[in-house]
Amino acid sequence: MQKYEKLEKIGEGTYGTVFKAKNRETHEIVALKRVRLDDDDEGVPSSALREICLLKELKHRNIVRLHDVLHSDRKLTLVFEYCDQDLKKYFDTCNGEIDPDTVKSFLYQLLRGLSFCHTNNVLHRDLKPQNLLINKNGELKLADFGLARAFGIPVRFYSAEVVTLWYRPPDVLFGAKMYSTSIDMWSAGCIFAELANAGRPLFPGNDDDDQLKRIFKLLGTPTEEQWPGMTQLPNYRIFPMYHVSTTWQQVVPKLNSKGRDLLQSLLVCNPADRLSADEALQHPYFADLPSSARQL
Amino acid sequence: MAGNFWQSSHYQQWMLDKQDLQRERQQDLKVLTEDEYQKVMIFFANFIQGLGEQLKVRQQVIATATVYFKRFYARNSLKCIDPWLMAPTCIFLASKVEEFGVISNTRLISTCQNVVKNKFGYAFPQEYPYRIQNVLECEFFLLEMMDCCLILFHPYRPLTKYCADLSSENELLPLAWRIINDSLRTDVPLLYPPYLIALACLHMACVIKQKDIKQWCAELSVDTDIILDIARTLIGLYDVWKNYDEKKEIAGILAKMPKPKLSPSRPPSEGPNGQDGSNNSQNQGQSMQQSGMQSSGP
Repeated sequence: MQKYEKLEKIGEGTYGTVFKAKNRETHEIVALKRVRLDDDDEGVPSSALREICLLKELKHRNIVRLHDVLHSDRKLTLVFEYCDQDLKKYFDTCNGEIDPDTVKSFLYQLLRGLSFCHTNNVLHRDLKPQNLLINKNGELKLADFGLARAFGIPVRFYSAEVVTLWYRPPDVLFGAKMYSTSIDMWSAGCIFAELANAGRPLFPGNDDDDQLKRIFKLLGTPTEEQWPGMTQLPNYRIFPMYHVSTTWQQVVPKLNSKGRDLLQSLLVCNPADRLSADEALQHPYFADLPSSARQL
Repeated sequence: MAGNFWQSSHYQQWMLDKQDLQRERQQDLKVLTEDEYQKVMIFFANFIQGLGEQLKVRQQVIATATVYFKRFYARNSLKCIDPWLMAPTCIFLASKVEEFGVISNTRLISTCQNVVKNKFGYAFPQEYPYRIQNVLECEFFLLEMMDCCLILFHPYRPLTKYCADLSSENELLPLAWRIINDSLRTDVPLLYPPYLIALACLHMACVIKQKDIKQWCAELSVDTDIILDIARTLIGLYDVWKNYDEKKEIAGILAKMPKPKLSPSRPPSEGPNGQDGSNNSQNQGQSMQQSGMQSSGP
């Protein structure tokens, strides 16, 4: 720990406090995440272990880099590359205005990071603006893999607080136990709309029911025909048959027609019909992405 | 996670070679013969297997725990941390990493006590001495020593693919699978990529079943020398087993085994004698109780 000088507290992660710090030798700025070991039953918490072992394997420009893990006095400290802010804070400072090229570049990088995770059989499972880090060069990086896990294993949410409601897909809200990369694609769609609206969340629900109502009011309540198997999901319940009454142009007024088309292909209730990260990257919306953004 | 093996920490940081292993074992081999060292490693692989079966974890967890154990002693002398403590620690960590869930403290320790008493009494006649604080501390050393490289690739998955490709899920798969389990009693998992281990075990299963897969192998274009090298190591293991009665011999070998002076504690932070170490773990226990009380408060 002598190696780093703590500068300031920058947040609370899933399992511990995060500090900005400086390497005393190289002067490199890093983020230190202290792992709390107060839960004696568990030893090193599973969420921390998951983040450590996944980030040890996932090295990509759009995924936050884990430089080192420090062991001292029965404490673990994860040393991450430092990013200036997260997307949530970025929204707070953008004064309701994000230019369309930035929206496109951020979404492109988000999808590229996701594509890499998914090819490596890793689901992030907790995508939200707070977990997307932005640095001065306009680079976007996926962070907070504390809830991520390898897929192919049935998983359940431990509690409602753990995964942020607003970015949760309808299949998960209905209690689906097996899901796949599609969970992250729904969240990516929600974040895309939020980017296009300069930080106004698309579905800011208060509870599970409210969340589903908001989704169905915008997309129309799905039928068993459109989504085979929906009525068999563990927490399925009947909702009023909402009919689509708002146009996408009203929902995301600043987004062009190609962007709206991509957004609609991500926000599909039936998880089987949702676009994958690789497919999304090939979408015509990105045809005019500046090459400078591709290189980020 | 079953991503790309060639970009994994398993491949990039933890493919060792025989010279590495020899060099690191020098110290232990002053006390034990190579044959005895191998028997110690076989014994603790059996112990991990016994713990895992009693705890009803998947074979994947057992395999991961066994490789963690091997990684630790590939870099450290047996006297660094008592393998009787390292074995349950590896199971504890592997169960979390393989997403099997956290094994509760009391269950882990009581399983150790029962398994030692009922299955391995011939090797350890006393009561199992370690407590959960020791395991949690040991977990730390293990993590640090492995440089937090926790995700492993095992030969089971490639084997399953090969057998499907050969349409031999019934004939070859179960036998080759058991040979992979046996390979955990050798250095093979530290030395070779899992797909080659899978092929070597498949090859041995074919020899036993007298099934000819030469044609199929030829199309794979892998280095047959390596396959044969792995097979030779495994045959070496079976030779050891054939002429060896673990129940009779292991107690003598374990008695010779280099031992830690005290329970695992970092020398600079702990006192030089055992007294300090035990005080320390008591303190830790107290602070744990305190924090437990705090969290149950209003």
